[in-house]
Amino acid sequence: MGAEETPAAAAAAAAAAPTKKEKKKPTNLVIPPKKPKLSKAERRALQEAQRAAKADTHGGEKPKPKKGGSDGGTASKGAGTEEKRISSSSSAPEGGAVVDGDGQENSSLAMNPDKKDDKMVSLFSHLPQPKHTTDQLLSSISSSNNDNNLLHPAVPTLGHLYQTRSLLGGNARCRAMLQTFALLLQSYTPPPDTRDFRVDVDHSLLKPAFQYWTTQCRPHSVSMGNAFSFLKLAVANLERDLEWNEARDILLESLEAYVTERIQYAGKAISRHAGSKIQERGDVILVFGRSEVINRLLLDAALMDGKTFRVIVVDSRPLLEGRDTLEILSRAGIPCTYVLLNALSYLMMREVTKVFLGASALMSNGSVLSRVGTACVALLANANHIPVLVGCETYKICNRVQLESITGNELGDAEEVAFTDCARVEPSNRWGEGKKKDGGVLSDWKKQPNLKLLNLMYDLTPSSAVTGIVTEVGILPPSSVAVLLREMNPDSAFKGTD
Amino acid sequence: MASENYHDDEQLELQEKQHPVIADLCLHLSNNKKSPSISSGDPPSADKLAPSSSSKTSKRSSIPLPVAAIRVLLNVIRRSRAETMMGLQADLREASDVMVTFAKRGGPIPPTDFDDTSSNNSTQQQQQRYLLAGRSHIALSSGCELFLKYVTRASLETPDFTSCKSQVLERGERFAEFSIAARDRISSVGGPFVREGSVVLTHGRSRVVESLLLRAALVEKKRFRVMVLEGRPDAAGAKSARTYEKNGIPTTMVLDSAMGYVMERVDMVIVGAEGVVENGGVVNKVGTFSLGVMAKELGVPFYVAAESYKFTRLYPLNNSDLPEMGGIGESLQFLDTLNWSASAKKEESTSTSSLQDVSDYIVNLPSTVEIQNPPCDFTPAKYITLLFTDLGVLTPSAVSDELIRLYQ
Repeated sequence: MGAEETPAAAAAAAAAAPTKKEKKKPTNLVIPPKKPKLSKAERRALQEAQRAAKADTHGGEKPKPKKGGSDGGTASKGAGTEEKRISSSSSAPEGGAVVDGDGQENSSLAMNPDKKDDKMVSLFSHLPQPKHTTDQLLSSISSSNNDNNLLHPAVPTLGHLYQTRSLLGGNARCRAMLQTFALLLQSYTPPPDTRDFRVDVDHSLLKPAFQYWTTQCRPHSVSMGNAFSFLKLAVANLERDLEWNEARDILLESLEAYVTERIQYAGKAISRHAGSKIQERGDVILVFGRSEVINRLLLDAALMDGKTFRVIVVDSRPLLEGRDTLEILSRAGIPCTYVLLNALSYLMMREVTKVFLGASALMSNGSVLSRVGTACVALLANANHIPVLVGCETYKICNRVQLESITGNELGDAEEVAFTDCARVEPSNRWGEGKKKDGGVLSDWKKQPNLKLLNLMYDLTPSSAVTGIVTEVGILPPSSVAVLLREMNPDSAFKGTD
Repeated sequence: MASENYHDDEQLELQEKQHPVIADLCLHLSNNKKSPSISSGDPPSADKLAPSSSSKTSKRSSIPLPVAAIRVLLNVIRRSRAETMMGLQADLREASDVMVTFAKRGGPIPPTDFDDTSSNNSTQQQQQRYLLAGRSHIALSSGCELFLKYVTRASLETPDFTSCKSQVLERGERFAEFSIAARDRISSVGGPFVREGSVVLTHGRSRVVESLLLRAALVEKKRFRVMVLEGRPDAAGAKSARTYEKNGIPTTMVLDSAMGYVMERVDMVIVGAEGVVENGGVVNKVGTFSLGVMAKELGVPFYVAAESYKFTRLYPLNNSDLPEMGGIGESLQFLDTLNWSASAKKEESTSTSSLQDVSDYIVNLPSTVEIQNPPCDFTPAKYITLLFTDLGVLTPSAVSDELIRLYQ
């Protein structure tokens, strides 16, 4: 049997091969010579040789591009690379584990003078790198605009605050953005030849500013995104034949109403609902970082309702936002304790009765996107059967669903992680050169091969870890965020088969 | 009218007693108001034999507390002399506040003996407290809230006062009837979950659960066994067991503490609810939480049967976060029934002499021992498999959805 088969198989293969070759030879096509298939050791040797050759030509000042098995995403990012060895294991954008692939990274990447790429963590390579120098900012102002439209000076001013991370917090950033837009609207006059100023407002005023902030300064938060969508909708809903003055007044009024209702009053309502969960005396409440909503509700409970409780403020590097919380609460007379994140389990097991957390965004499956470290706190509280309440206004609800912290996140400045001396960092004031003092174990981290520093801004708390979400409509279980979204946008709700 | 002055208890008692709303409520609770649409399997409860509210032996009717409250509110509407909707709503709001306050206080003062020799006043107070014994005020307040919302919506639709008033009355009647018919709907959606040949464990005395199981046995003609927990301190389980046996369902009684022991042999657990809270959890007779945890641990489905008017906007974070509920008495009797029944057998006693024997076996505690007798506890949503309601079979996360819609 076998003897008969193999000749037949061989014949078939032989028959197939010539036909393949015949197919492949149209005359006008130039076929590059095939690369010989190298084994792993051979490929390594080849790369070493190439590296050595390059080191000779480039004077050897370049840091050795040891990417240790990361490629794919970085290969696509590197500009001007000749050969790309994108292996199928480039699963970085999908959030899988970093695979130590066979392919060493293409050495041509080292030719890229931008050193940052070498220090980029491939798992998060799908996220935009943080923007750095002021020079870059200033040059981009004049060069990046379309139609020679210069930006109103308020825009880069705010952009600078965003980029240097001086202005933090979903509510603060959103309010500042809306205030700037109000300023822009006030100083805007539609060009005389436009038929519909709505298009022009959107095209030359709103969009460039927002894009500038997002691409040149710092990726926008969900709160900013939702507010911007609201503003665009308000512009689109203006009547066609309105005078610009009237339209402007309407828009300014809408902006004012948005901030008042959805941020300010929402905060008061949240404070009222959550306050009913704080007992008259004896509660020990744990908070993390700085959240405007949580500070408000704690102050109201202590000062207006006269409740007696203690607060434990948990803080984390590099932003150390908890210091502001500590200041605000202790000034109001609330007894506070301050710890860093590593002391969390000690406290949680002993005395904490409730945990209040803020949020940057709520996903529609009920998971909470918040400052990095929040998930830690929530999960540990869960493990100790301590209720976790998240305070968040409804305008921060995002109709995205996110399952883990990798796909939708933001990278911060890795330099901040390197600077390990807490005592010397100025609170909440991160611009200026002063902070980069000497010393620190990691001051020369860029020269270290195989060392990368990662500074993430956000993380995702799964909905199962949250006991309740406090919004202005009441306290809800996390599964009801989707219901809220549906109620808020009845037109876009799925109607089923009616 | 009733004041909010809690410091003067006796004063308050007198005022409450004379308050027509309270009197009305007790009348409704103790009268045998027959529920109109009874399925063929409705339990012939012994409660229905009570003639009037003033006799010592008056039992409680099977009517749920919120439904009685709604009837009271309907009477308030009829009696009200308000000329505007706002006035009417104010009357209703006041009446419902009085009832909720009464229900909340319906217990903390320890009851004296049920003697004929005590004065009429305190007897009446005793009656009132007895009628509310063990019932949580949660269902009462949520039922009243819903009814008030109903009225408000009606007032928005019909601006004219007199026509609105009559419409509200008519709707109110329908609401009360709907609440009663809810039990039948629940029985029909929940019945299929009782499988032939299964063992069903219940806790507490819920009319809804009773009607569900009776319907499964008598109408759907399934054969199954019911296991009942005793239900201290009000022997709720024992009373249910009587009902089940009378209708031909084989019943087993166990002590409350034996719930872990029997859970391995049980196929499903079904309980009623005093209130269904916003996160999908339930507030029910104390012991339900333990039952829920046990059932989840051993992989037994845990079902809750509750009418939709029991959905309330409460959000307890844990058991310590429940609102205060008065038990029928902070005093419990601790009886050594094991030795008492052993001794009774020896003496071949008649009924009167066995009563005397009991006092020998009651364990008297010094007053310094603190007794806590919470009537209800909170079972979080993660222990509940499904809820059987008159809106259909819901998952716990759907409760919030429903509440958002109801209270919009």
